[in-house]
Amino acid sequence: MNSPFNAPFTTDGLQAKPPVVSIPDQVAKMKAALLKDIQRSAYVYRVDCGGCNGCEIEIFGTITPVFDAERFGIKVVPSPRHADILLYTGAVTRSMRMPALRSWEAAPDPKIVISYGACGCTGGIFHDMYCVWGGTDKIVPVDVFIPGCPPTPAATIYGFAVALGLLGQKLKTHTHIEQEGESVPVSHPDIPYKLRVALEREARRMAGYRQGRDLVEEFLDQLDAKAAAPLPERMKRFVANQEDPRRAEIFGCLEGIVTQAIGG
Amino acid sequence: MDMFVQDRVGGEYLTALRTVLPNAIVNEEWQTPRQVTITVTADALADVMKTLYYEHYGWVSVVVGNDERPLNGHFAVYYVLSMEGPQKCHIVVRVEVSAITQEWPSVTPVVPACVWGEREVRDMFGLTPVGLPDARRLVLPDDWPDDLHPLRKDAMDYRTRPAPTQDDETYEFINDAKQETTIVPIGPLHITSDEPGHFRLFVDGEDIIDADYRMFYVHRGMEKAAEARMGYNEVTFLADRVCGICGYAHSVAYTTSVENALGVVVPERGQAIRAILLETERLHSHLLNLGLVCHYTGFDSGFQQFFRVREKAMVLAEVLTGSRKTYGMNLIGGVRRDILGDQAIETRRVVAELREDVNRLVDILLETANITGRVVGVGKLDKQVARDFSPVGPMVRGSGFARDTRSDHTFAGYASVPFTPRSHDGCDVLSRTLVRIEEVHDSLNLIEALLDVAPGGRILTEDFEYKPHKFALGFTEAPRGEDIHWSMTGDNQKLYRWRCRASTYNNWPVLRYMLRGNTVSDAAVIVGSLDPCYSCTDRVTVVDVRKHSAQTVPYKEMERYGRERKDSPLK
Amino acid sequence: MFKLLKEILRTGDATVQYPFAPYEASKDFRGKPEHDAEKCIACAACTIACPPNAIHMETDLDAGTRTWSIDYGRCIFCGRCEESCPTGAIGLTPEFELAVMSKEDLTVKAVFQLDHCRSCGKPFAPLKEVEYVGKLLAQTGGETERSAREEQILHTCPECKRKNDLEQVSRMKIAAQMETSK
Repeated sequence: MNSPFNAPFTTDGLQAKPPVVSIPDQVAKMKAALLKDIQRSAYVYRVDCGGCNGCEIEIFGTITPVFDAERFGIKVVPSPRHADILLYTGAVTRSMRMPALRSWEAAPDPKIVISYGACGCTGGIFHDMYCVWGGTDKIVPVDVFIPGCPPTPAATIYGFAVALGLLGQKLKTHTHIEQEGESVPVSHPDIPYKLRVALEREARRMAGYRQGRDLVEEFLDQLDAKAAAPLPERMKRFVANQEDPRRAEIFGCLEGIVTQAIGG
Repeated sequence: MDMFVQDRVGGEYLTALRTVLPNAIVNEEWQTPRQVTITVTADALADVMKTLYYEHYGWVSVVVGNDERPLNGHFAVYYVLSMEGPQKCHIVVRVEVSAITQEWPSVTPVVPACVWGEREVRDMFGLTPVGLPDARRLVLPDDWPDDLHPLRKDAMDYRTRPAPTQDDETYEFINDAKQETTIVPIGPLHITSDEPGHFRLFVDGEDIIDADYRMFYVHRGMEKAAEARMGYNEVTFLADRVCGICGYAHSVAYTTSVENALGVVVPERGQAIRAILLETERLHSHLLNLGLVCHYTGFDSGFQQFFRVREKAMVLAEVLTGSRKTYGMNLIGGVRRDILGDQAIETRRVVAELREDVNRLVDILLETANITGRVVGVGKLDKQVARDFSPVGPMVRGSGFARDTRSDHTFAGYASVPFTPRSHDGCDVLSRTLVRIEEVHDSLNLIEALLDVAPGGRILTEDFEYKPHKFALGFTEAPRGEDIHWSMTGDNQKLYRWRCRASTYNNWPVLRYMLRGNTVSDAAVIVGSLDPCYSCTDRVTVVDVRKHSAQTVPYKEMERYGRERKDSPLK
Repeated sequence: MFKLLKEILRTGDATVQYPFAPYEASKDFRGKPEHDAEKCIACAACTIACPPNAIHMETDLDAGTRTWSIDYGRCIFCGRCEESCPTGAIGLTPEFELAVMSKEDLTVKAVFQLDHCRSCGKPFAPLKEVEYVGKLLAQTGGETERSAREEQILHTCPECKRKNDLEQVSRMKIAAQMETSK
């Protein structure tokens, strides 16, 4: 086997780059067969290369009763010597490169390498920092990437299923090319721009970017609605009809902004 | 800030200090009514620290280095003290370090709690704490160049990755044993453990005579990136990832530090939501630790049961934040999601269910026949050691000190609900576990109480101006104890300096004393009772080892070492 | 011991059915960010807000295009993109099944055309963004149609605008001087 330990580093601008271990063709063939259909249970050894612990804790979540990955024969083992799958988490810190490589060497071929979580896949939020190398594939070849920050237990089970050839991959790369005449409409064109923006901002301050947006859309739809009753009356009724007092408070606040805008 | 003069808390300490050391304080600047920074002369530093620490009941929270040469021509070191005597406040002792000599007198010989902080300032800034007894690196890896100090403003780009200077691990482990001992190495990767860290137990037969450890395998360079790459709001999401278990506590500590620095008043509803989420985080974290205590003591059914119940706390987090683990809920000025009626109802339902579940499981755990034999009197954290090293959270509360940031320096929404910190006097694994059990119940009660009192109104304010070179502390009580952040704002909507200290950082240094005198087979439960969050251990960095380890370690792990390393550490 | 057995019996089967049945995450779960390229104006707000730099924007002046891309492998699912998007073109969905065998499949791209300045002919901003701004201006002014002159100004790059303004000001000054000298 080629040794990853003595290969030289290369340099790219500010950053040195570690050598990536290579796999002999023979082993690669065996691995391809394994990835297609493993036909037995798979033992997993976790290699923490400097993660924040979020991934590790979700792996715990995956192997405990509620998600119970052992249903599929997936078992976490205490030594890389027992492993079929190496699960790498973390952005690969400088201190963890050698231990991570030693674990890789210790696991018998053909071994499957899974890169787990945003940090494992690409270095995540730490991708360009000085004390990391930037992801699992910077030091060893990776077979399956499981994104997430951290991946949930369900996402982890899905990832294992993809690695073991039980489920197909859903995500595919694609590139959208802008078409002639592609154009973005202004939302709620009948509502004055300044009023709409004032309502949207206040809704975000009251209920945040997600719930606030849902609420303000609901409210703007009310303003847009063509109905016989005059607007102030409709708004009053809409607010009064809310069962949830917090929603009523937020809509009341938006109503105040409209009233001020139309009534002065 | 003059308008706050009458509200200031902590002035008496300064008056007392001026009486004993008349010429020590050269400058005094209040960041908030309960936060003051005093600049002292280098000669008086050790005396000031000793006086505040031992005579006025101060505890060291964090030591912050700062390269202020572009601002005033000096480096500066800030020693943050949490004053927990009659006047609860933070006193930050600042000392300027000459850009020419680059030395300052170490405080560690008189206040041991400063040891990690001073070692870190030496690593990151290349300054020399004269008289510091421990000359080893703390944070930077063994393969890092000697003369490159990442946090100096002129040292390097935040992306600079020098090639390794060497592949050997050169860290020296300290063994104070008088007799001949055998080394049991554990880690950095260990059995069921999560995070990397390397422990060396020096044993005589089964007995641990001494122990040392190398942490910071997880040092990534967050502080530097936060100062260079990210805007001040983006850093909240980085703070979320200091630790995967109590990341939200970091996010709140960070946002609070900037809010304190800029005088931003967060709406009360936003504050209440922060507190609710902090307690949700504590629930899952404490349940995790209780599960692990079962595991370490060989009660694996209990481990599985606690993890089953813990999932309910994870679902609660998902309902409230959209994510099980990294909440991503903070911005400077408030929070990003509200708790609407449906969510409040669901929260109360889960809380009620958890209360019942936890009661039953705790009952089972404490009635298990051999549990007491395995946790009583094990891993003693002596009170004096605790007092000298300033540990935090259930660690220190299990040794009789009721230190809890939620009551000592109230923050977020805690002022609006009744709360009394827990403590137990046994100093052992049992006491720490009991503290956590009681705190699970407190968290459940706090969540309900906070839902009751949370007022209406906004959850986020954007009514502030970002001004450069303002600094302040932010703090939270994470599940593992006080998290403290020190931020100084900079130009361009960025930070000039961010220092983030996780709770476990303050807890590691005492582990050595807790391990001494126990047996190898208890090492796992002792490390576990620290509830170490390796990553936590530091903001920039972190740590590692996890509990489980020792149980299986002696055989399998040693065997692995034997295979993987030519120079087997087993002698 | 007896209590533990009782607890186990009481609990029954705690395990979820997934992957044999769909797994439903909570409402507003933060999963895969879905980009609707047709609604995107390539304004780059999301690239600035994205804490891990998972979203990128690259401008190719020679080709006159701007390419937006997201790397799901680097995404931390915080929702800052959704929060900062002015047109609702990107939003987090409950989708969590993201594992892939090849890293390329983690990246999604969209290529947008740049608008060429009507004065100097150089590309200066995404065409869709310029058009969107035009619509907002029209809405604020309460108009439905843009005059030819407004259209011309809208599609002029900032540099040329400045230059044109200066020229106009100096022309006015000359005119004013001529007026006074009369």
